[in-house]
Amino acid sequence: MRRLLPLLLLLWGSALPAAAASIPASDAFPYALTTDTLPNGLTVVRVPYPSSGIIAYVTVVRVGSRNEVEPGKTGFAHFFEHMMFKGTKTHPEGERERILGSFGFDDNAFTTDDITLYYSYGPTAGLPQLIEIEADRFQNLEYSEPAFQTEALAVLGEYHKNAAAPFLKMEEELNAAAFTRHTYQHTTLGFYKDIQAMPQAYEYSRTFFERWYTPDNTLLFIIGDFDDAKTMELVRKHYGPWDRKAAQVSVPAEPPQKGPRTAHIDWPQPTQPRQVIAWRTPSAGTSPADAAIQTLLVDYLAGSTSPAYKTLVLDKQLVESIGSDYSEHRDPHLFSLTATLKDERHRDTVRKTLLQEVSRLAAGRVDAARLKAIQDHARYGALMALETPRDVGIQLGWYAGVTGAPDGFQRHLQSLPKVTPAQLSDFAKRYLTANKFILLSLTPKTAAPGGTK
Amino acid sequence: MKTRALMSLTALLGLAGCATTPTAPPPDENAPPPAVPAQAAPPQTAALPERPESVPAKPLGQPEPLQTVVLARPDTPIVSFRLVFHTGSVDDPKGKEGLTALTAQLMAEGGTQKLSASQLLEALYPMAAELDVFVDKEFTTFSGRVHKDFLARFQDLFTDVLLAPRLDSAELERLRANAISDVENGLRSANDEALGKAALEALIYEGHPYAHFTGGTVQGLKAITLDDVKGHAQRVFTQDRLVVGLAGAVDDALTQSLTSRLSALPSTGAPRVKLPAVPTTAGRTVIIQKPTLSTAVSMGFVNPIRRGDPDFFPVALAMANLGEHRQFIGVLFNELREKRGLNYGDYAYAEHFIEAPGSTYNRTNIARTQQDLTLWLRPVVPANGVFATRGAVFFLSQMVTEGISQERLDLMRGYLQGYTRLWEQTDQRRLGYAIDGLFYGTPNFLEQYRQAMTEMTPQSVQDALRRHVQPDALNFAFVTEDAEGLAKTLRSGEPTPITYASPKSAELLEQDKAISSAKLPLRPEGLQILPAQQFMEK
Repeated sequence: MRRLLPLLLLLWGSALPAAAASIPASDAFPYALTTDTLPNGLTVVRVPYPSSGIIAYVTVVRVGSRNEVEPGKTGFAHFFEHMMFKGTKTHPEGERERILGSFGFDDNAFTTDDITLYYSYGPTAGLPQLIEIEADRFQNLEYSEPAFQTEALAVLGEYHKNAAAPFLKMEEELNAAAFTRHTYQHTTLGFYKDIQAMPQAYEYSRTFFERWYTPDNTLLFIIGDFDDAKTMELVRKHYGPWDRKAAQVSVPAEPPQKGPRTAHIDWPQPTQPRQVIAWRTPSAGTSPADAAIQTLLVDYLAGSTSPAYKTLVLDKQLVESIGSDYSEHRDPHLFSLTATLKDERHRDTVRKTLLQEVSRLAAGRVDAARLKAIQDHARYGALMALETPRDVGIQLGWYAGVTGAPDGFQRHLQSLPKVTPAQLSDFAKRYLTANKFILLSLTPKTAAPGGTK
Repeated sequence: MKTRALMSLTALLGLAGCATTPTAPPPDENAPPPAVPAQAAPPQTAALPERPESVPAKPLGQPEPLQTVVLARPDTPIVSFRLVFHTGSVDDPKGKEGLTALTAQLMAEGGTQKLSASQLLEALYPMAAELDVFVDKEFTTFSGRVHKDFLARFQDLFTDVLLAPRLDSAELERLRANAISDVENGLRSANDEALGKAALEALIYEGHPYAHFTGGTVQGLKAITLDDVKGHAQRVFTQDRLVVGLAGAVDDALTQSLTSRLSALPSTGAPRVKLPAVPTTAGRTVIIQKPTLSTAVSMGFVNPIRRGDPDFFPVALAMANLGEHRQFIGVLFNELREKRGLNYGDYAYAEHFIEAPGSTYNRTNIARTQQDLTLWLRPVVPANGVFATRGAVFFLSQMVTEGISQERLDLMRGYLQGYTRLWEQTDQRRLGYAIDGLFYGTPNFLEQYRQAMTEMTPQSVQDALRRHVQPDALNFAFVTEDAEGLAKTLRSGEPTPITYASPKSAELLEQDKAISSAKLPLRPEGLQILPAQQFMEK
């Protein structure tokens, strides 16, 4: 790569990148990244990967349900992800499927609290068409009101699909208990009543596009087997004219939590009782060290080698499973411990056991050998997880979207081994406190006294 | 209303618990009550070839004991192990449904003679090594992945799990409780789409060892003893049922050492289950009743062809044309979701589909002697349940009677030439296809598929469809709250018109008229209602 660089710079001539950087492969992340930022602010990252004839093309827009600041418009980032497949003047609805379909691309997208991530995964032979069609839709999306209204029903269908299991309702209730002002108080799918009202919000959807789908709010990742110079030439040609700027909309800050909070769900179907203990914690977006600590805490407190797992899952068999719903967020969000109980009667014991582990940690009693094992697990786990260009692209895109740094994922991997036992303990003492937790319980309404049968 | 539901329940209870013992009686005795063959359906199918009255059990191939498949490649530090045993829930004895899955789970999770369950987890943990098991009807796959830095240690653990599992009672009770909960709280409650698919499977394989849930029935799981598990492990996880797959950073020494260790498994055990022929029943319906916001729909029939049949590829392409899982290109996805906004997605497959985690692809190593062709609709609002069902049948029928245009065939061919390459991007999946090829007699299966597509014409695809895919052969499974209301609409055969909140083209509205009054190929007397709480009870 390095030897080619002078030649490439020469070829690019006046289209010199505003910034360019190469990050070599490392033990933690065995692939090299080359990053350019186009004059319009679009960040383009390329990652060679030995996937003969196959590429993954990942576009991450830094917009999620976090950006839904207007009342009544929750769920819009996700809904908008659906609308991005509805065509442009150049490529009307259906043409994308025909063009990308003819190559066999797996073409899809997902939305989180913070990001919207689009991926196309398929033959390198289709890359030129893909670049053209992707650049076109990010600049020139156009859809009719009836198409918009119909798609709103597909989103409702998605809500229905997800509503059968308790997880969606639990996330809704936990967020509502944890956040009174910040937009994290609603889930990415949005409030049900807002989803039902989506068909009436065509005009707002245009605003949403103009506001957030801008080059300076977007990062592009291309991973796999492709010619870098030719690819970048096409990227510059097709994305170059994109000239909007991201809007400045302030997301309300969440005031400090005063005292513990609780929430409860009666679930009208057979299911296991659940217990969630959550705390508001610093963001991964602004604090890589805190993100690394929280990643390791998940396994330290609730992983398959934790004392709580040994006690609750294996020895006493009071729960089916324990874990955490923690994930990296751009703004301060939650660190949680979760338990799927076998019996309502054991709720207090389970909760106490989990909290005892937190107290022990906060008191400075850290098992350094186990922390080391968790750090080894994280390192090898990352290597094992990067099996395809798509895996690599989604990991890179996710962390870049949350942190704003194209190499956010590598930075995260590099931060993990640096965490010390004292940092784990300090974090627990500072944030995982008894007077600031949020307890969420779920009980099947059909439960007979003392059981779920 | 209650009485009718209960009567239907009585009729349907047979669905849940019809596994045969490993020494099954001859096929005919084992077959369910007389079924209505598809050709008895209305006259519009008269021009189609006659459908067989049953799909026989033509045995799958039988690889050599401990046959080895090695796919080494130098550009990865990861080693993949894939041990595929030709045993699955068909080997569950009657009354002990779930025994194979529970045994496999206990082996994989319950520790070894040297290490307790907790110590096994601790040993695997710093390596981030994977050790998983998946059980289907006829196959059980133990898979492992590890970085080569830990190869020797992992190989010890992985082989100990198979050769010297701990099989203690505490872990049996833990995993049994989880398995029962998976039925009571998972299958019956948490995913209507999956429940509909399981209900259809139970319906079309009634009386066959495929009928019960692979994870077991509640009563079957409760009846299993530790001795059952110990005996079963010796009887089914044997050398003569095992294919050994290795991929990635593999060398000859590893292959030899692994096969040499595995030769300590019992050489043989239980006789192979003789599967009965499956009657090609048509027009049967089950409605699973449970509290839910929506209606999930599955439909299908036992497919007379499987991999290895020359007609399999054109039928597979035609079903992909209707809809591969979570792909935007399918006819059903476009017609039902994109144009009409009925739901989140609609899919179709020529063989049984179980989504591989983290992907949109089918699992490997779930080969079946008798396959099913299915279509399913992700949940729709209840008011549109029958219309959506009619829509799916309409577009299936249209494809069979009118065929696929040259343009559409070219599109699907291009699509599958590329998309099938994504199915073989990981070492575990490449091993999976290679091992499936041994049982189906289809070496280089995906390459064969891509080659076969180059020679297909609209005519050849339609000919294959007309030979094997008859909409009148469909059976139906629904999951909904107002089961009686749905049953009434289905029995009446009355039109189910649909209204939209947004403007639609005249052409679409015209098509809707045909869809909303199309006759569904179901028989009112073959309709049953089952409360979800009773599903897979025994």
